Amino acid sequence: MDQRHRLYNTHVKLLAFDILSLTQTPSHSSSEPISFSRKGTLLSRAETVGTITSRELKPGKFLKFAIDDGTGCVSCVLWLNHFSSPYFARRSPPDVRLIAEAANRFAAEIRLGAAARVRGRITSYRGAVQITVSDVVVERDPNAETLHWLHCISLARKCYDVGTPNK
Amino acid sequence: MASSAIKSGALVSLEEIHPSSPFFKQGASLRVTGKLQEYSVETAIAIVIDGNANLKINTQHLRDLSFRVGSVYQFIGELLIQPDNEAILQARVGRNVDGIDLNLYHQSLQLLRQFQADHLSTP
Repeated sequence: MDQRHRLYNTHVKLLAFDILSLTQTPSHSSSEPISFSRKGTLLSRAETVGTITSRELKPGKFLKFAIDDGTGCVSCVLWLNHFSSPYFARRSPPDVRLIAEAANRFAAEIRLGAAARVRGRITSYRGAVQITVSDVVVERDPNAETLHWLHCISLARKCYDVGTPNK
Repeated sequence: MASSAIKSGALVSLEEIHPSSPFFKQGASLRVTGKLQEYSVETAIAIVIDGNANLKINTQHLRDLSFRVGSVYQFIGELLIQPDNEAILQARVGRNVDGIDLNLYHQSLQLLRQFQADHLSTP
């Protein structure tokens, strides 16, 4: 694997200002029409921790929310259209049901003011970077956000920024 | 940040909110943390303190949050500077953060600011 792809399948822990400043490049893949990179390293997944500051639910379609970590606000979309989307029609119904149940559970946990850890794919909507959510954990520890900042800083310095192809 | 309709609340300590501070601006989006000193049910105004600094918080838009004097809360909202130069944070969201390590929080905030400044100078 070349250096550009070394973090490609990792959920990179990034601060919001870093997520929002990722470089977007049109790609030739039909499944991923835009590729995202940070200092020349390609990324596809990210993890963020912050406070939920907006919430817009379209039942049976999606939940759109914003997560604010104090350095920026990242838009997140949690799809809830598992029974109507052609994307899921190809998968086995029991699997789809499990995925749909998890997504509905996450949607119920996303409340204004809650601190949450969100993982997902990095995507783009109307030119802005967003996260297409795959996992949500509501943080009970009031120090979780502080510890996330420190993780992000440490990982950037000791891992993400080390040996970057285009520093 | 222009892509997002909701503004991020800049992380500040209460002692940084004074008239000569860069954060002391009409409508500035801030995130503050402090111990609840007073709360009025009639006005929904809370006063939080941290060390020697305090700040009034208008909590009228917050639901599902119970206020206990002595507990620690975190609020995100916009600063309203009144004609007498007194600031009130118009809270959009708030939560109880009892158990937060405020020393770690303030020290980490300094590291975070330094990291962000370094990142912006060498993108």
